Amino acid sequence: MSDNIRVVIDEEMIGLHASGRDYLFDYRSGLVSLKAGDREWLYSAPQPAFWRATTDNDRGNGFSRASAQWAGADLFSAAGLPSLSVDGKPVAIPYTPADGSTGGQLYASQASLRYTFTTPTVPATKVDVCYTLDASGSLTVSVRYHGKPKLPELPAFGLRMVMPTPATGFTYFGLPGETYPDRLGSGKKRVVEVEGMPVTPYLVPQECGMHMDIDWVRVTRETTLNNADAAIAPFSLTFASNGRPFAFSCLPYTPMELENATHQEELPPARRAVLTIYGAVRGVGGIDSWGAPVGEQYSISGKKDIDFSFVVRP
Amino acid sequence: MKPSLTWLDDPQTFRVNELPAHSDHSCYASAQEAGGDRSSLVRVLNGQWRFLYADNPQDIPEGFYLPDASEKRFGLIEVPGHIELSGYAQVQYTNTAYPWEGSVFRRPAYTTPPDDPQAGSFGEAEDNPAGLYRHSFTLDSTWASRPLHIRFEGVERAFYLWCNGQFVGYAEDSFTPSVFDLSPYVHEGENLIAVAVFRHCTASWIEDQDFFRFFGIFRPVSLLSLPETHVDDLDVKPTLKDDDHTGVLNVSARLSPLQSGSKVTMELADREGNVLIQKTVEAREQTNYPTYTLKDPNLWSHSDPYLYRLTLTVVNAKGETVEVVPQAVGFRRIEIGADKVVRLNGERLRILGVNRHEWSATRGRAITQADMDADMATIRTNHINAVRTCHYPDRLPWYRMCDEAGIYVMAETNMESHGTWQKLGGDDGSYNVPGSFPQWRQMVVDRARTQYETLKNHPSILFWSLGNESYAGENIVAMNEYYKKADPTRPVHYEGVVHVRRYEDRISDFESRMYAWPADVAKYLENNPKKPFVLCEYMHSMGNSVGGLRDYMDLFDRYPQYVGGFVWDFKDQALQVTDTITGRKVMRYGGDFDDRPTQCQFSGDGLLFADGTEKPAMLEVNEEYGRYER
Repeated sequence: MSDNIRVVIDEEMIGLHASGRDYLFDYRSGLVSLKAGDREWLYSAPQPAFWRATTDNDRGNGFSRASAQWAGADLFSAAGLPSLSVDGKPVAIPYTPADGSTGGQLYASQASLRYTFTTPTVPATKVDVCYTLDASGSLTVSVRYHGKPKLPELPAFGLRMVMPTPATGFTYFGLPGETYPDRLGSGKKRVVEVEGMPVTPYLVPQECGMHMDIDWVRVTRETTLNNADAAIAPFSLTFASNGRPFAFSCLPYTPMELENATHQEELPPARRAVLTIYGAVRGVGGIDSWGAPVGEQYSISGKKDIDFSFVVRP
Repeated sequence: MKPSLTWLDDPQTFRVNELPAHSDHSCYASAQEAGGDRSSLVRVLNGQWRFLYADNPQDIPEGFYLPDASEKRFGLIEVPGHIELSGYAQVQYTNTAYPWEGSVFRRPAYTTPPDDPQAGSFGEAEDNPAGLYRHSFTLDSTWASRPLHIRFEGVERAFYLWCNGQFVGYAEDSFTPSVFDLSPYVHEGENLIAVAVFRHCTASWIEDQDFFRFFGIFRPVSLLSLPETHVDDLDVKPTLKDDDHTGVLNVSARLSPLQSGSKVTMELADREGNVLIQKTVEAREQTNYPTYTLKDPNLWSHSDPYLYRLTLTVVNAKGETVEVVPQAVGFRRIEIGADKVVRLNGERLRILGVNRHEWSATRGRAITQADMDADMATIRTNHINAVRTCHYPDRLPWYRMCDEAGIYVMAETNMESHGTWQKLGGDDGSYNVPGSFPQWRQMVVDRARTQYETLKNHPSILFWSLGNESYAGENIVAMNEYYKKADPTRPVHYEGVVHVRRYEDRISDFESRMYAWPADVAKYLENNPKKPFVLCEYMHSMGNSVGGLRDYMDLFDRYPQYVGGFVWDFKDQALQVTDTITGRKVMRYGGDFDDRPTQCQFSGDGLLFADGTEKPAMLEVNEEYGRYER
C-alpha cells in the first residue's frame, strides 16, 4: 500500500490522488475540489465557521452584539500559502525538483497540507486547517483555533463545507433531534436518518439544525452541477469523528443567509448543502429571552485554544 | 333601561342585567340525551351573522338593533370568530404597550385628578370601533312558551345586547360566559338579536395580555330553553379527609325556575356504573343533600384521573323527568402542609407544567374542539401534567378534558395590567389598576366570582390564580379574600405580589416568580421559605431555546417545597397567511400587518410552532418531564 498517493505539484494547485479520491488544493484559498468517484463535493473551499445566525435569546441578551467581530471573521478570514509535507517531510512551495523545472509529480504514502487563516478580529488570531491524506484515500482534517486574550466568546467554532447541490438527506450516529450542549434531549446516541436538509421553521430564521455527539455523518446527494453527468443515482460521502465526537449541521444556508431573513419565506431556494462540522457549540440558553446569558459551561471562550478533527472516509 | 356609552368609561359598570354566574354543567331533557351528549334544551347559534363595522361609537347607525333597521350596509361574519381575522379590522400584536400607546393620551378612570375624570375616554374615542351584529332565530311554540337564556361564551371586550329591538343587557370580562334572560323579549316565530361589541372599555386597562389584540364574538353563542324546573347552579364538593381513606361528598343545587311538587334525585355511580349513592329530595330553590362519606374512594390524580359520575334528575309532580344533569366528580385533596410542601392526596405534588394560550394559526383564539383535542394529545404525549390558563379562563370544554385526562389546572382570572406599571425606568405603580382604587374593586372581584362560580366543580383545577402581572394592591387582596372565602379547598396563586412585598401575607399561598434563575430559586428555598415556591413562568421557549431545563428539574431533588413550574409557553402565536410574493402559506407575526405598536415575534415563544407541530425543544421537555411524571 505504500506510495499509493499521487502528489501533483503544479503552478496554482496541488493535487492529491489516492484510491479513487481526488483532492485539489488551491494555493490561495484551500481545498477547492473533493472528488469521490468523479463526483464533486465542494462548491468552494472549506472555511472556518465562527458565526451562528442570531437566536432570539442571542438578540435578547446582547450576545451577537458582544461577539459581532466573529461575524466579520466568519465572512472575511483569509488563508495564506499552505505548507506541504510529503511522507512526513516538508516540501517547499513552489516546488523545485532537482532538474530545475517547477512542478512535478511524486508518489507517497502520506501527504498533508496546512492552511493558516487569519481573522479580521481585534486582536487578530489564527486558525490552522490541516488536511492529511493517507494511501487508503482517507482525508483527516484537523482544525485548531488559537485562543487570545481580549477576544469575545465565540458563537460557534467549526469548518464549513459548501456542496454544489442540495443534499437529499443525511444519516448520522449521534443524539437524535436538534440538540445543543444545554439541550441534549434523550442523551442516547443512535443512528438517525434525516430526509432533506430541514430548516427548523422558527418564526424568525435563526441558528438551527445542530446535532451533538456525532460519531459519523453520511451526506447523500442525487444531483451534480456537471452538465455531462446525467446520472441521478444517490451518492454519499461520510465524515467520521477522529478520536472525539463532533457536532454538525447540514442546512441549505449559511448563517448569514439565515441572519438576513426575517421570515422563512425570505430564505432563498435551497440550492446548496452547507455542512458544518463543529468542534465547539454554544448552548442556546432558555432562562429568558431578554438578558439571561448562556451558562458558562455552555459558552465558548475566545481565549482558549480549540482543537477538533474529523475524517472524510474513503 | 336605556343603554349608555358612558358605561365604557366607568369601571364600576361591568355587568348590566347579566344573570349571576353559575356552574358550567350541561343540561339534558332525559337520561338518554345525557348519555349521548346531545341536548334538546340547547341550540347553538354559531354560523353566519349579519355584520357592520363602525369606526367608532359615533359612527354607529342610530337604531341599528331595531328589527326594521336597514341592513343595506351589512356584510356577513362567521360567529364565533375575530373581527380582525374576518378582514374588517387591522390585526395587531402588542405586549405591554396599550394599542393606543403614543397616539391617544389616556389614563385609567379614577387614577387621575378629580378635574380629569377621563370622561369619554372610550365612549367618545376615535380609536374605539364597534362590531355590529344582527342574527335571527326562530322559536317554535314550546321554546317560545318556556324561559329562554342566551349564553355568550366569550366576547372581547364589551358588548350591548338587544332582542327584538329592546335592550337586554351589557357585559364585560371577555373570557367568561355572559348569560342573559331573553324570556321577556321573545315570541313564537322569528326573533332578532343585535349585539354591539366594542374593542375598548375601561376593562382594556386590565386586559392587556401579551397577545394579538382581537375583538368580537369569538366563542360560541347558544340558547338554553329551560324546563319547568331547572338546575341553574350545581355545587359539588368531593373531598378526601386527612386520614386519606374517607371521601366526603357535599352536593347542593340552586333551582330556577322551580315548579312546586318537583323532586330531585342525586345519584353517584362509579366508573363501571355501579350506583353508590341515591337520594331523592324535594326540589327547593336551594336544594341540599346530606353529607355522604365513601370508604377508600378511588382518588383523582394525574396517574389515575378517576371520575365518578354524579347525576341529578329532576322529576315533576306528575312523575315526568324534566331535566337530567350529569357531573363528573373527582375525590382529591390539595393542601399546603405546615412544612410548606404542596401535597395532592397526601403525596408531594410536582408541577410539570406549561402556560397555554388558546391559539390556532388560522382562527386565532376562536379555537375549535379539534384544536383542543390536538393540544391535549400533545400535552399527554410529552408528560406535561399541568396547565396554567394564561391569562384568562379557557373555553369550557377544556376543563372537562383536563378532568378526564388528569391534567392539573392553575385557573387564572382574566386580568393583566402590566402596561400600567412596567415602565422603562422600572416598576411604578402610581396609576396601576386595579391597584387600590375603590372604583376598580367590584369589577375585579366580579371576575374572580365569575371564574369560581363557573368552574368550581372541576377536579382538575387545583389552584385559583388572581391574574398576571397586575402589580398588587387592596383590590387584588379583595380577590384573594373572595377565593379564600368561596373555596377553602383550593390554594390561591399570584405572582405580582413579589413586586410589592408589603402585601405578601395577604395575597397568594405561593412564592411565585417568573423566569427566576435556578440559583435564585434555591436561595429562597434555603432560607426558611414562608411559602412553597412555584415558577408560574419559566424556560422562555422563544425561537431556538429551552437550554438548561435540567437545572430546574434538579430543584425537585433538592427542595421539597419546590412545586415546579409552567414553561412559557405552549404554542407560538403567529398567523398563517398566504404570502403574496411566493404564494406560499407562511407564518406572520407582530408588525407584519403594518401594526404599531408591536413587539414583533415576541409571541413566538411556544414549545409548538403556531401550526401545532412540535419544536425540537419539546424533546427536552418530554425527556425531563418524563423522568418526574407520576
